[in-house]
Amino acid sequence: MKQASISEFFEKNKHFLGYDTLQRSIITAVKEAVDNSLDACEEHRILPDISIELRKVPKKPDRVIMISQDNGPGIPSKSIEKVFGSLLFGSRFHTIRQTRGQQGIGITGVVMYSQLTTGKTTRVTSKISKEATALQMDIGLDTKKNAALVSNRERTHDFLDHEGMPVEHGLKVEAPMKAKFQRGRKSVGQYLRMTSIVNPHATIRYRAIDENQEIIEEFVTERVTDRLPRPVRSIKPHPHGIEIGAMNRLLRDSTEKRMSSFLRHTFSGVPMRAMKEVLAHADVESAAKPSEVTPEGAQRILNAFNTVRLMPPPTDCLSPIEDLLIKKGLSKAVDSAFVATVTRAPNVSLGNPFQVEVGLIFGREDIPADGAVDVLRFANRVPLMYQQGGCLLTKAIEAVAWKGYGLEQPGGKGVPKGAATILVHLASTNVQFTSEAKEAVADNEEVFNEIRLALQEVGRHLKNHRKKSAQKAKAQEKFELVNEILPAISEKASSLLGREEPDLAPVITRIMNAVFCEDEVIWDKEAKVHRCRIKIHNYTARPRAYSILAQYPETDSAHFVENDLGGRREVKGIWCWKLDTIAPGDAGYIEFAIQGLEHNDWNSTEVFFRGSGDIIGASKIDEEILEQIRTEEEIAAKKAIEENNLAIDDAMDYDTDNSGDLDAVELQNAMAGPIGEKLEQNSAEQVIAKHDVDNSGTLDREELIDATQSDTSRQTGLGEWGDE
Amino acid sequence: MSEAKSREEVIESLNQVAAEMHDKMLKGEPPTMTLPVRSKTNIEFNKKLGVYKYGKKQTIRDATSLGSARQLLRALHVIDFIEEMIDTAKSSTLREMYYISEAWGLGKFGTQNESNNIAEDLEIVTRCMREDFKLRPEEDGARMIGNVTIEERNRRGDWMRINCRDDVGDSGYGLPYNVEPEKIRLIDEDIDFIMAIETGGMFDRLVENGFDESARCALIHLKGQPARSTRRMIKRMSETWKKPVMVFADCDPWSFRIFASIAYGAIKTAHISEYLATPSSTYLGITADDILAYDLPSDKLTPKDVEALKAELTDPRFATSEWQGQIQMMLDEGKKAEQQALAKYGLDFVTDTYLPEKLAEFGLSI
Ligand SMILES: Nc1ncnc2c1ncn2[C@@H]1O[C@H](COP(=O)(O)OP(=O)(O)O)[C@@H](O)[C@H]1O
Ligand SMILES: [Mg+2]
Repeated sequence: MKQASISEFFEKNKHFLGYDTLQRSIITAVKEAVDNSLDACEEHRILPDISIELRKVPKKPDRVIMISQDNGPGIPSKSIEKVFGSLLFGSRFHTIRQTRGQQGIGITGVVMYSQLTTGKTTRVTSKISKEATALQMDIGLDTKKNAALVSNRERTHDFLDHEGMPVEHGLKVEAPMKAKFQRGRKSVGQYLRMTSIVNPHATIRYRAIDENQEIIEEFVTERVTDRLPRPVRSIKPHPHGIEIGAMNRLLRDSTEKRMSSFLRHTFSGVPMRAMKEVLAHADVESAAKPSEVTPEGAQRILNAFNTVRLMPPPTDCLSPIEDLLIKKGLSKAVDSAFVATVTRAPNVSLGNPFQVEVGLIFGREDIPADGAVDVLRFANRVPLMYQQGGCLLTKAIEAVAWKGYGLEQPGGKGVPKGAATILVHLASTNVQFTSEAKEAVADNEEVFNEIRLALQEVGRHLKNHRKKSAQKAKAQEKFELVNEILPAISEKASSLLGREEPDLAPVITRIMNAVFCEDEVIWDKEAKVHRCRIKIHNYTARPRAYSILAQYPETDSAHFVENDLGGRREVKGIWCWKLDTIAPGDAGYIEFAIQGLEHNDWNSTEVFFRGSGDIIGASKIDEEILEQIRTEEEIAAKKAIEENNLAIDDAMDYDTDNSGDLDAVELQNAMAGPIGEKLEQNSAEQVIAKHDVDNSGTLDREELIDATQSDTSRQTGLGEWGDE
Repeated sequence: MSEAKSREEVIESLNQVAAEMHDKMLKGEPPTMTLPVRSKTNIEFNKKLGVYKYGKKQTIRDATSLGSARQLLRALHVIDFIEEMIDTAKSSTLREMYYISEAWGLGKFGTQNESNNIAEDLEIVTRCMREDFKLRPEEDGARMIGNVTIEERNRRGDWMRINCRDDVGDSGYGLPYNVEPEKIRLIDEDIDFIMAIETGGMFDRLVENGFDESARCALIHLKGQPARSTRRMIKRMSETWKKPVMVFADCDPWSFRIFASIAYGAIKTAHISEYLATPSSTYLGITADDILAYDLPSDKLTPKDVEALKAELTDPRFATSEWQGQIQMMLDEGKKAEQQALAKYGLDFVTDTYLPEKLAEFGLSI
């Protein structure tokens, strides 16, 4: 970009930089500030505390001062000018991983917009923990030089947080700008609320003040977890996502000396064997210098990428929010009767890892039941607020047959109606948008399917929940009837007549005439476990036998601690127990406890059953859906094993002396490839030390397999029974 | 049933209700209470009595739903309460019972209406009267003016003689809730008929115009849907003194129902129709054809009116061709009129012209 035209460039492109209308500009400015704060805190493993304040300036129409402050690391003094004074000075332009800072042109855009619309400078206050005082300065832009114009630079003790305490470390930005702010669906308030849902680890304060110094909107969304998002790893591009232009650029810029190492080191998912096959297919010498490969050769390599079997890219570069946290975030944002969330397993499309998460809130009292549901869209934890209709995330919502799950959907198509909110989050190393404005996700079949499957799952939860609440209310009545009213009738009638009281057991059976399920999940403060108790009461005249299935949170950290009945895992998140036959009038119980969850992580279960007749308060398990889930799990497991085998094969190719064992040097070389991503330890010595079972000083194939699997297989070690 | 029951008979029939429940539970079945269906689909004309009574359709209220089970429990509490009152020779109002039920725990009433309904249920199944149960309504009775003499037993137990023309003010004699012989004696009269009037305004007009004297009648103000005691008093006077009853009401569907409850019995109290209804009553006006004949100011029928009229077309009490004609005519014209519409022709028109003309139709010349 020619530097003289930076402000011109801004003017021309402001619609896709997010500064096209006065309402949108303020959202964009807030977004740039908040995104930076969240990113900086995440990188430095700080639990974010972010305040946003908007002040209308008296007597100046459409003039707003945006003040953002965080408790992040702050910015070292030498970088402040660059960060705020030059466009496109970002810290992450060349890495591939899931980050927020992919939209807009960053915080310099805010300074630019401020200056263009008000002629004023932006005040920045930064404190890093190493220094005793904060540094404050006013920053303007020299648009010709793409550089900062700094004034009033000074040290200050007067950098305080919202409680008036001195700030340890953090950043404050005060930018005046032409803007309009409002309440409602497309507002700063909504943007911040949405942001807090997908950043459950952040506390966000918001306050808007009008020209008379009166607060017109104010809220605080407290963090609901102290768990920071898991650190994301950057990955190399995958060959399936590369186009010819990018390929040529990579070849031209490569410092590698040989094509063999170029392929191995530039891309993810290319094991040694695949590298050889690609070169053979493309008819390119492995010793060729990358920068000397012809455009035809480059094209042949691209073609070969599609015929040779490659490994998928690793998916641990993604940072899903995870369903339990979405649930907490949603419950905190809106009062409602019911929340269901689903995080799908990571998947890959065109070489890009992606992962889909959805949430559904039902029973909101603050919105009318006959309007369209609220749709909350997110890409990489960033709220999408515009262009809802043209967005893939919306299209996936529209494609689900919601009627079957109990939401109204006129004509069986479109966004459903009801007092509900549907949330969709797409995490990906490369979110494709429909336009530069980055407000609507572009069509992609794999992503679409994943979202649809996830939505169908929350839909099923909703349906079960509604059926269960209706049944529960009815059951409650029946219990009140037989436990309280009936004994009172019996007592009163008997005493009036001076007769003996009748035996009520047979009367109760006649009145109930059904099997009832009662379930509860409670938090045991002392033992720090969640206890789930399920009671199946047989109020019919004949004995009943069932297998009972219950939903539980199956996460990395959670595990069963008390489970006398044993049973077995049915599919992910569903456990199954066989109950002894329950005689008429008797009850069967299932009790288990789960350790490793936080207090509010789990508060209710869903109960299913196998067996004849109905159970009020439980649903008959849908074997088809179970089968579908099982198949998905099997495919995923198979894929994982295949992938692992490929990585092992690749590693064993480094056994240059054909000894059948990898020594430390050979293993270290191999770890530059896919096997490196599958091992916990970083150095070959450490791996060998831990997994060298026969003490040979080297690892054989079996030992290596063991090493890759040691942390992936979690044994619950609970009893099993044979198939029914 | 019109005979007062003895204490033992009342307690025995109340205990029968509890026994039905107890017997069922002994058999391992949910307790029940059997009641006649209380709707217009279950009232039948009793030729002997000349009134409408409940037919044979029964519903069994059983304790398989929470709502019905509560009703059964409440009924038992009410029975207990009544038996206690009988034992201690006390009485209470329905409203008092509603408040007393606060102490009944699970058996307490949710609304006053519930307590009224249970009292009625028990009247029906036991074939006793509310009075037998020592339960009084709060509804107050009507006002009456005319040359009739009665005796009312006052609070001190003395019999007080009252002439309802000479011993009362302009508002007339107020009927007590209990008009049975133990409370009211009919002594003497000098009238030709009894005229029941729906609205207070018309009652006052007739009083002011001295119609009771000029037409030699007793005027009774119904106050809308007449209370039990009003209907009972009309019946006693009509039967004891052999006087015809003329009902003078608005011309709308609700007025027709008022008439039906006086003449044939109300659906809610069909179990005691023979005790409350006066089959010889006549609907004097205002009739649908009066609106046309006298060219009276009228209002349009509301959708609710139309609905009510249509319901009356299938009500057995309006099955006569006369009534069917009147109702159909109203539906065709789409009009209704108030008694006071007669004022169109001056304040005296009703007493000088309308009523004499109408009464003459029924052979009552003034
Ligand atoms: N609030 C902040 N705290 C710490 N560092 C920040 C903050 N805001 C911005 N930075 C630094 O400035 C860089 C540039 O920010 P920006 O212009 O918004 O681009 P981007 O967010 O795309 O990297 C960031 O990458 C980060 O290193
Ligand atoms: Mg940024």
